Amino acid sequence: MDLKHIRNFCIIAHVDHGKTTLSDRLLEHTATVTQRELKAQHLDSMDLERERGITIKCHPVSMIYRDKEGEKYFLNLIDTPGHVDFSYEVSRSLAACEGALLLIDASQGVEAQTVANAQLAFNQNLKVIPVINKIDLPSANLEMVTRQLEDILAIPAEEAILASGKSGIGIDEIFEAVAHRLPSPRLADYPATRALVFDCNFDTYKGVICYVRVFSGTIRVGQHMLMMSDKVKMEVKEVGFFSPAPVKTHELGPGRVGYVVTNIKSVADIKIGDTITGADKPAAEMLPGYKEVRPMVFSGIYPIDTSDYEKLKASLSRLRLNDASLIYQSESSVALGFGFRCGFLGLLHMEIVQERIRREYDVDIILTYPSVIYRVVQAGQGSIEIDNPVHMPDPSHIDEILEPTIRAIIHTPVDSVGDVLSLIMDKRGICEHTETLDETRLMLRCVLPLNEILVDFYDRLKSITHGYGSMDYELAEYQPSDLVKLDILVNSEPVDAFSSIVHRSKAEHKGRALCAKLAEIIPQQLFKIPVQAAVGGKVVARETISALRKDVTAKCYGGDITRKRKLLEKQKEGKKRMKQVGRVSIPQEAFVQVLRAQ
Amino acid sequence: MTSFCTTTAARPAPEPSVVLADCRPLGIYVHVPFCSSTCDFCAFYQETPARGDFDRYLDGVERELELAAIDEPVATVFWGGGTPGLLPPSALRRLGELLRARLPSPPAEWTVEMTPSSVKEEKLAALREIGVTRISLGAQSFQPRLLEALGRLHPRERIFEAVDKIRRAGFASLNLDLIFSIPGQSLDEWRADLDEATALGPDHLSTYCLTFEEDTALYVKLSQGRVSMDMEKEVSFLREAECRLAAAGYRQYEISNYARPGAECAHNLNTWGMHRWIGIGPAAASQDRGWRGANPAGLDLWLDKLAAGERAGEDRVLLTPDLLAADSLVFGLRMNAGVEVGRVAARFGVLFPDDLERRLREWEGDDLLERDGDRIKLTAGGRLVADRLGAELLEILG
Repeated sequence: MDLKHIRNFCIIAHVDHGKTTLSDRLLEHTATVTQRELKAQHLDSMDLERERGITIKCHPVSMIYRDKEGEKYFLNLIDTPGHVDFSYEVSRSLAACEGALLLIDASQGVEAQTVANAQLAFNQNLKVIPVINKIDLPSANLEMVTRQLEDILAIPAEEAILASGKSGIGIDEIFEAVAHRLPSPRLADYPATRALVFDCNFDTYKGVICYVRVFSGTIRVGQHMLMMSDKVKMEVKEVGFFSPAPVKTHELGPGRVGYVVTNIKSVADIKIGDTITGADKPAAEMLPGYKEVRPMVFSGIYPIDTSDYEKLKASLSRLRLNDASLIYQSESSVALGFGFRCGFLGLLHMEIVQERIRREYDVDIILTYPSVIYRVVQAGQGSIEIDNPVHMPDPSHIDEILEPTIRAIIHTPVDSVGDVLSLIMDKRGICEHTETLDETRLMLRCVLPLNEILVDFYDRLKSITHGYGSMDYELAEYQPSDLVKLDILVNSEPVDAFSSIVHRSKAEHKGRALCAKLAEIIPQQLFKIPVQAAVGGKVVARETISALRKDVTAKCYGGDITRKRKLLEKQKEGKKRMKQVGRVSIPQEAFVQVLRAQ
Repeated sequence: MTSFCTTTAARPAPEPSVVLADCRPLGIYVHVPFCSSTCDFCAFYQETPARGDFDRYLDGVERELELAAIDEPVATVFWGGGTPGLLPPSALRRLGELLRARLPSPPAEWTVEMTPSSVKEEKLAALREIGVTRISLGAQSFQPRLLEALGRLHPRERIFEAVDKIRRAGFASLNLDLIFSIPGQSLDEWRADLDEATALGPDHLSTYCLTFEEDTALYVKLSQGRVSMDMEKEVSFLREAECRLAAAGYRQYEISNYARPGAECAHNLNTWGMHRWIGIGPAAASQDRGWRGANPAGLDLWLDKLAAGERAGEDRVLLTPDLLAADSLVFGLRMNAGVEVGRVAARFGVLFPDDLERRLREWEGDDLLERDGDRIKLTAGGRLVADRLGAELLEILG
C-alpha cells in the first residue's frame, strides 16, 4: 500500500457535539460495519463510556474508501478521549494523525473544549477540516457558527462542511475532504523504524496490546523491538489493524495504524507516547512530544467493610492492568483502617475508577477528600511534595507552600458573567482576559488553583449558567499560596480522614461547616463530645454533641432475658460496624456522608 | 413481709443481690395466657379463652410439671400472664394444688398478678388457701383519661376496691404496677399517680416507662405518627418517680422496681442474679439444667410439644460460664445494689478481659458508675443509659 493512499485522521469536538454518531456513520458508509452490527456508539465499548456518553479509551479503526474517481484510500480513524483529564492521551492521538475533523454543533456553536482541542490540533501542525454538525436541527444557527469559526478559531468559513451524523448529510463530502485535503503520512523517510504508541489495552489471553502509528520502517512478527524511553526490549508476537474487530496481518508498514502484541505482560511497562524502534537498528531520536504522565489528583480509597481490603487490592491491580495512569500504594488511616492512596489524571478519571471498583468488582468503598500535589519548602531542608494532608510538616518548619494552578478557558452567556466571575473569585482565581464570542456569549481566560476546582467548580459553573457554560483547562505552573492544614478533632482526637489542606481564608468557614455536619451525624454517646476544627493547634470552629440522655427499657424479667440479650447483641453488632476514634464510635455512614458532602 | 431466703434473717437490711449470690434458689414462673381483652401497650402472649380452654390449660400444666420433675426446694413462685386472676376460683385452686403436689415444701414467696377488675373475694380466698403470699395488681394509672388511652377497661374506683379486698383477705405483700410516659400524660398527672399509689400503702411498686413494642396497638399508632415519644419527658418522669417514691419511704432496687426495705420481689432478684427458674405454661421461659429456653407461644402449640415430651424448646441457648458471667454483670447493673465483679468471675470461674476494667474506669469518669471495692453500681445517670452500657459490656465480654 503506497503512502499516497493512506490518511490518518481523528475527530475532535466538544462533548455532545456528535462525535460518536459521526464516527458510526463513517464506519457504516465504508461498510466497515453493517447497519445490523452497528450498535449505537460502536467505538466506545466500555459500559461506563456509553452511559456517560464519553470516550475513555481510544480505539483506532481502519476503513477503505473509494473516492469519486475510483481511487482506493486506506483511512485510519483514531478516536480521541473526550475529556480534559486525558488531554495527554488526546495529544498523543493527535500526534498519530495528519489531520483532524473539528466537529461543531450547529446550534451550540464553539465551546470551551472546541477551542482547546483546535489549539491542540494546530500545535501538532494538523490540517483541520471544520465540520458543522447537526445542521438539520431547527435550532441550527449557521451564521453564528461560521462567524465563530473565523473570529475565534481563525478558520476560513468556506472550508466548513455542513453535515448531520444522524441523517447522513455531508458524509460524502467529509470523505472527499479527508482523501484530498489531508496530507499523506509524514516522517516516512526517516532512516530507522519508528512507531508511536498512542494507547494500549490489556487482553487476558494476549497480554498487552499496543495501539501504534508506524511513521517509518515496518514492524513484522518475530522482530525484536525496543521501547525508546526506557530501552525495554520485546519481541513482536502479532500485528494487525482494527476493522473494527482486530485483523491479523504479517506487517505494519509506514503510515499504517494498528496494533502490536509483544511479550510484555503489563500495561504498567508501556508508556503512552513512547516510540517503538527496531532493536538491531535503533532510531537515534524518539518521535517528538513524549512525556511521562503524572497523576494530578490524589485520594485515599478504603473499603467500607474492612474485610474487603484484599478484594479492593485485587480490583485495583486488575484495573491497573488496563490503565497505566492509575497509581496506588497501600496506606492506613486511623479512622478508616487499611486502604490505598491512589493517584488519578483528574476528577473524571477518579470517578471512573471509583465507579468501576464498585460495579465491576462489587467492593463498597469510601474516598477521602481529593488532594493535589503541594510543594512544601521547608526551612533549610529543601522542598518536598505532598499529596496527603497527613504528611504535612509542622507549620513552624514550613517556609512556603506552592500549589498547582490551571489555565482555564470558560465560555459563559453574557447574562451570567457576573456570577461566573464571582465564582472564579470565590475559588481564588484570576480572570486574565475576556473575549466576546457573539452577542450572547463571552470567553474568559483565567488562572485558578487546581485544588479549588477539584470538587464542585464545574457543577457550580453549569448551574449558574443554566447549563450553557463550558470549560476546558490545562495545567499551569506552581504558585506560592497561604495554605494551611485543617484538622478535625473529635473528642480531642484528630480524625485523619477529615484533614484537608485549604487556603487560610477558607479554613474557618470550612471548619464550621464540617463541625456542624459531624455534630449532626455522629450519634449521641455516653459522654459529651466536642467536635473541633483546628489550624496549627488553634481551634477555629467548635460544636458539641451532648451526651445520650436515655437508653433503658423498663421491663426485664425471666422471659425478657433472652429477648433483651438479643436486643443488646444487636446494639453491639451496630457498634462493631463503627469506627473507633479514641472513645468515640463514628458510624461508617458518617464518614461517607461527610466525605460526600464535600 | 416475707423473707425469701433463710440466711437473710440474721443480717440487718441486706442488699438483696449479695444474699442471692450465697444461696442457690430455684424460682417457678407459671404463665397464665388468658385475658378478657388486649391492652394497647401489651406485647405478652395472651389469648381470649374459649370454652374448655381453662381445663386444657390446667391439664397441660399438670403434664409439664411432670416433665419438669422438680426435685428440690423452690424459693419463689410467680404467676404472671396474661391475667392469672381471670381464672375462676376452682381453676385457681386446681393450679395451686398441682404446684403444691410437686413442691417438696411451700415457697416463701408466691406472687399472683391480678387486674383490678379480676379481683373477687372468692378468688382471693382460694389463693390464700393454696399459700399465695403476694398480689401484684396492675393498676397502671389512676387517671380515667390515661386508663382509657392505655385501653384498660377498669374505672379508677375498681383499683381502690381491689386493694381493699386484698388487704382484708390478709396477703402479706402487695405490689402496684404503674405505667408512665403515656402519650399526652403531664408531669402533674404522673405525680398524682405516684401520690395516689403511695397513699394506698403497698410495700412494693413497679413503675414502667411505656414502651412501644412491635405487635401492639400503640406501636401502630406510633408508626402512624398519631402518638410520639419524648425522651426528655421520659427522663423527667423517671427522675420524678425516684424522688417522690424515695420521699415516701420506697427504696429503688432495680430500674423499674421500688420496695419498702425487705419487701423486694425475691423471684425477680433471683432472675437478675442469674440463678435458676423453671417456666411452666405457654411462652414461659426457663433457665435451668444448663439451658435457657422458652415454651412456644400458643396454647395448642404448647400442648403439642408437651404431648411429644418436650418443654422449653424455643430460643434454646446453652448456659456457658462466659454467658452467665456476662449476663450477671449486664442484669446485675440494673439493680441499685449493683454487682460484685470479682465475685461473679469467681462464681462462674471466668477471667474478665482487661478491657472491662478500662471501660469501667471510663464510666466512672463519666459519672455513670460508682465503685465500692469489688462492687460496681450505676449512678442515677448511668441507670438512664443502662441498655447502652449493657450492649458495651457484651461487646467487651464477647
